[in-house]
Amino acid sequence: MNEDKFVQVGIRPPAEMRTAVPVKRRKDFPVVAAGVLAVIVLGCLFCGAVMTKDPAYMDLVNYSRPPDREFLFGTDTMGRDIFSMIWYGGRVSLLIGFLSTAVSTVIAVVFGSLSGMAPAWLDAVLMRAAEIILSIPNLLLVILIQAALGDANIWSISLVTGVTGWTSIAKVVRTEVRQMRESEYVVASRCMGGGFFHILWKHLTPNFISSIMFMAVMNVRTAIVSESTLSFIGIGLPLEIISWGSMLSLSEKALLSNAWWIILAPGAFLVVTLLCITDIGSFLRKNRKQSNL
Amino acid sequence: MRHPFLYAAQKALVFVLSVLLLSLAVFYVSRLAPGDPLISYYGERAEKMTVEERARAEEKLGLNAPVYVQYIRWLEGALHGDFGISYKYKTDVLEVIRGRAANTLLLGGAGFLIIFGLAILLGIFCAWFEDRLPDRILCRVGTISSCIPEFWLALVFILIFAVTLRILPSSGAYSVGKGGSLSDRIRHLILPLAVVVLEHLWYYAYMIRNKLLEEVRAEYVLLARSKGLGKRTVLFRHCLRNILPSYFSIMAISVPHILGGTYIVETVFSYPGLGTLSYESARYHDYNLLMVLSILSGMTVILCSIIAQVVNEYLDPRMRQGPEVEPDE
Repeated sequence: MNEDKFVQVGIRPPAEMRTAVPVKRRKDFPVVAAGVLAVIVLGCLFCGAVMTKDPAYMDLVNYSRPPDREFLFGTDTMGRDIFSMIWYGGRVSLLIGFLSTAVSTVIAVVFGSLSGMAPAWLDAVLMRAAEIILSIPNLLLVILIQAALGDANIWSISLVTGVTGWTSIAKVVRTEVRQMRESEYVVASRCMGGGFFHILWKHLTPNFISSIMFMAVMNVRTAIVSESTLSFIGIGLPLEIISWGSMLSLSEKALLSNAWWIILAPGAFLVVTLLCITDIGSFLRKNRKQSNL
Repeated sequence: MRHPFLYAAQKALVFVLSVLLLSLAVFYVSRLAPGDPLISYYGERAEKMTVEERARAEEKLGLNAPVYVQYIRWLEGALHGDFGISYKYKTDVLEVIRGRAANTLLLGGAGFLIIFGLAILLGIFCAWFEDRLPDRILCRVGTISSCIPEFWLALVFILIFAVTLRILPSSGAYSVGKGGSLSDRIRHLILPLAVVVLEHLWYYAYMIRNKLLEEVRAEYVLLARSKGLGKRTVLFRHCLRNILPSYFSIMAISVPHILGGTYIVETVFSYPGLGTLSYESARYHDYNLLMVLSILSGMTVILCSIIAQVVNEYLDPRMRQGPEVEPDE
């Protein structure tokens, strides 16, 4: 049916009837968020060029100094320059975010597709197991494991947050895999002797990657929050390993002396980063159809 | 259709198995931890003990046996209602918990009610104004609020309201000597409650908004509209009613999230509830206390997810095939 036929018989061309699902438009891309995030990530990666002081140096004369021209964001209760620490510590926070997302995504993809490809009974067992794990409050689980592991470092925190955060992605992967496991290309590949990981990588992953993208990006956010929360309550990174979380673990002391910059400066960076990640994440979601209301 | 008795039995079995599994896991993990449980019982003295004294102390607390023997002993006691004593408080674990549970219940319960009352209102409001200015503004504010880590929001609130303005107390559940005063309790509750609500509200409001927006795209809405039904009637009579099952299941699965959030807030505000207690007990190897607390929160959570399933299946028989309840952000 082409449009000029409508016009010929005198009917309004169906321009107002936008029935087609609008394709994801480039102009929706969150430019501001991506730009700000790029500045933060680059600043952290090349922190040597941005920093004005040595972030680990404890200037014991100038402790808890409010922001001024020398110490742009002030100094913390141990006399370290907060401006330099933010860029230096951002590396650790971002690294933990990405590492833990990598861990959780890999576990989720393998577990989810295993469950999706498995016979019904095994699928039921695996999914119940995932549900039980999902049902434990995430942060509580992290706190329990981390308190049990004792001294934390970057790797253990990434591992713990990754290991506890894979269940919801796994469920999505499983549903997607179940839908396409009977499709011709999967069956064909299996007939030709393709193994589980071959099929997973060549045929399944390209199909479900778009639907887990958003959740993976959100996991980066969750991991960064977990790191800072753990460090704040004192079972995460110790003070010597500078990260946004360990910087905020001085806030209880800062509250006593009303040193607001120790709390607000790293926190603002943290929140802005999380916000940018969220914006980019929501862009990756699927678009919606036209409303009928 | 299964027999209702079988159905109940199946749910009960799942519940018991999950709790058992959870207790086993917590028991092993807590004992794997490096650190000395004797310190939490004997304090400083534990470090100066001789080898024989240590052995005697461990025997007294039942810590000398292999872990699986300890677990079986614990399980035996637990089935008789004896959960052991807290190493730190040196009284029955249940006694310790009883003193604190009400505080957490008050904070969590009030938070839960406020969150869900407001969430559905906000959700409807946003869905009504989809993609128009009010919706856009609320979505923006909401996204920002949900990006702020809980503990940091709590810190900023303390900084503003307790340190700078000095109008609200920064910690505790009541002032010393005023334990019975209701207004004093409420004053202590305002800040923690505000943090709990602000932190979770948007997550659920957004979920409800999105569910509603999915619903208004259904064909029946087009039919109802073309038959001449008003927007409001369609939204409230049809769409809202259709998303109610998911509203209830969201409520049930939200319990662990809100519970976890309450725990963090309690720690920041030094609010004497179960959260601070769990944290202490995990940190200082107060095994018996930790076990009961984890099982308590685990039980609540598992119970809630079972309730969510049952409610769902009752309201929507299609769900019996397998629940697909997942929180999407």
